Amino acid sequence: MRRVVITGLGVVTSIGIGKEEFWQNLIAGKSGISPVTSFDTSEHFTHLGGEVKGFEKIMNTIDEDSRSRYSRASLLAMIAAKLAVTDSGIDQVEPEGSIGVCYGITTGPIQVIEHINDILLSNGSVSNELACQLPSNSTLAAIGEEVGLTGEGFVLSTACSAGNYAIGYGYDLIRLDRAKIIIASASDAFSRISFTGFNQFKAVAPERCQPFDKNRRGMMVAEGAGVLILEDLEHALQRGANIYAEIVGYGLSCDARHMTSPSIEGIVQCMKKALKEASITPEDIDYISAHGTGTPANDRTECAAIREVFGDRYKEIPVSSIKSMLGHTMGAASAIEAVACTLAIKQGILPPTINYETPDPECDIDCVPNKSRSHEITYALNNSYAFGGNNASVVLKRFDGY
Amino acid sequence: MSADKEILITGIGVISPVGEGREAYWEALKSGSPNFGEITLFDTSPFMVNVAGEVRGFDPLKYIHKRHLRVLDRSTRFLVAASKLALDDAGLEITEDNTHSIGVSAGTTFGSLHSIAQFDRDGLIEGPKYVNPSFFPNTVINSPASQVSIMHKIKGFNTTISTGFCASLDALIYGADFIRLGRAEVVLAGGVEELCEETFTGFHNLGLLSGLKGGESLCRPYDRGRDGLILSEGAAVLVLESEEHARKRNAHAYARIVSCSNAFCSHGNGLFTNSSGLRKAILQALERASIDPGDIDCVCASANGGVELDRMEAEVINEIFGGKTPVSAIKSIVGDTYSASGAMAVSAVVGEIVQGFIPATINITEPEFEMNLVRTVTHTRITNALIITSDPYGNNTAVIIGGV
Repeated sequence: MRRVVITGLGVVTSIGIGKEEFWQNLIAGKSGISPVTSFDTSEHFTHLGGEVKGFEKIMNTIDEDSRSRYSRASLLAMIAAKLAVTDSGIDQVEPEGSIGVCYGITTGPIQVIEHINDILLSNGSVSNELACQLPSNSTLAAIGEEVGLTGEGFVLSTACSAGNYAIGYGYDLIRLDRAKIIIASASDAFSRISFTGFNQFKAVAPERCQPFDKNRRGMMVAEGAGVLILEDLEHALQRGANIYAEIVGYGLSCDARHMTSPSIEGIVQCMKKALKEASITPEDIDYISAHGTGTPANDRTECAAIREVFGDRYKEIPVSSIKSMLGHTMGAASAIEAVACTLAIKQGILPPTINYETPDPECDIDCVPNKSRSHEITYALNNSYAFGGNNASVVLKRFDGY
Repeated sequence: MSADKEILITGIGVISPVGEGREAYWEALKSGSPNFGEITLFDTSPFMVNVAGEVRGFDPLKYIHKRHLRVLDRSTRFLVAASKLALDDAGLEITEDNTHSIGVSAGTTFGSLHSIAQFDRDGLIEGPKYVNPSFFPNTVINSPASQVSIMHKIKGFNTTISTGFCASLDALIYGADFIRLGRAEVVLAGGVEELCEETFTGFHNLGLLSGLKGGESLCRPYDRGRDGLILSEGAAVLVLESEEHARKRNAHAYARIVSCSNAFCSHGNGLFTNSSGLRKAILQALERASIDPGDIDCVCASANGGVELDRMEAEVINEIFGGKTPVSAIKSIVGDTYSASGAMAVSAVVGEIVQGFIPATINITEPEFEMNLVRTVTHTRITNALIITSDPYGNNTAVIIGGV
């Protein structure tokens, strides 16, 4: 079976655009949370979120015509794809075999729906250009403007774990020899519907996102995009590509129990499947990038599941949540977190969980509190969970030669 | 992993405007009986056209317990019901022992567009603090598929694919891959799309509906007088099963998946109708099946009466099949169910293989293209049928279904 490596990274987040800025801020423990500007929050319970700053500025790198043709979610993905492609150097070579795309999203077209609602409620008329942005597969066309796509194209809409689903299926397509390169991508734009819904669930923190803290009060709604260039190992070696890390397996599961309340059993199944597919045991995992939204229920459930899978070792394994810094970027989250895992493996540094103050006996893991630290990682596990009980965990491995 | 692991279709569930359940659906296709009519789901006075394919007389209580029903929107009800029909048809019982090897792969691009838009409108009109949180989960696109897992206790995996017109064929590809990779033994693969004011507005304003230029709304694929599609709704679900698993439980197989191909065609400037992706998808599917165009007994086209799309599809079909292979466009009967249309097509083709017929493409008075367009129902043996779909954003999918 073919091996799959990561050869390019692109991110657009509230703490930085491009892998360098993102990584520097990530290990510095910088927060990207600020007052929401996308819409008026005066009638909401909370007022903060993780919006991408300087969006207009980076838009200048994109063709003006495209800017009006695509939704914000598509444009975020487009920018991240452009960064990742440049980073990988695949734009400089004529790849053998095809380039495909797997794209994950939760609420991308939702922002278009919100825009349309605004127009309709003020008796305006909706342009065809805007209506055409509704299907989320329009983002594939947007990514296609930055990358010459010649292979398969999939959009995976599995809510807050969509990024991992996209990475996972991209990994499958290369292993099945149906692509040499996959643009594994995910994005979501800041959404009024998400902000309203999570607020009504009382799941949004008023001031800070504090995963695993006893006094945690919830998540921060955010936006962003993450793109990883997945490549057939042989192909990457042949063209002398810079290899960041390898993907060695993943697991999916469905709670089949409740739309919004997480289940220990479902998450345990998911992590176990990922370890099994990677042909490793719980002993081998050196770092877990947690789903870690900062809601009481998520973090408690995730820690209980980690305890069950990793047994005695659960307190030894560093488990951090970068959502403490950039907020919850929905479908993009696990793709951005996969980028963080990749860089953590490459640099040997663990990103921290910031805003951590008071230990919670129900979350007595090592959450890498507040400060990044050096740590050698061979295997990292990237967890993600979603509405609908759609769980996905991806195993990344340090690449140590052929 | 075995790349040539045989994948069988052992159950079919259809909720459509022309019938509920496979028998009724196949009968409507055989008799060429559409069921379009005036829209009752929402006020059509702002529109120039008021005809669509609504699912009428659907009783969700036949499939879903009353206590779950309140929060489930129309899309979700359709998909849960179609899944139940498919599972019952396959005689498959889901237990704690087999649930981890069963998955759901559903194609939908809008989930419930109405649920999403309504949730936002409630917030704007009533104020965000007065929105009912129990409807928030309906705003994720994966809500219909996830409710299928919740209602039927399916734990293996649950994935939603949103590639527009190609979504449910792509969901079938995804499901088949998961069986090939050994991640699942059984996958419920299908698709759903509901008719609602929001979707109808979009198709209407983009000028895609038949009847917008005056005259009757009529779906006339490949006809010189074609003027657009008739929007429709529904869900179709296929039970995909590894041959080994089906044999062990003595399951009856209707058909098998011979080969699949997804070819995304990057074109650089938004919406378009370009034939290169569809051509590639078809040729790749034939190559993967190691068969020639002459081995295809019938093409189930995605032609919907759209002026440009039908022309592009006709040209590609003629180029590859040389005008001899029978072509049938079931959207003239079923209407265009958008993301569900691929699963509707697979459900149709399985019936065609099992019962030996090619459905008529109805409403044709003057065919525009040199092709063997089937205009009256034809009774014939079908060994291999090709299903194609194409989306204006660049997705193209081809699937070959064969007899067992």
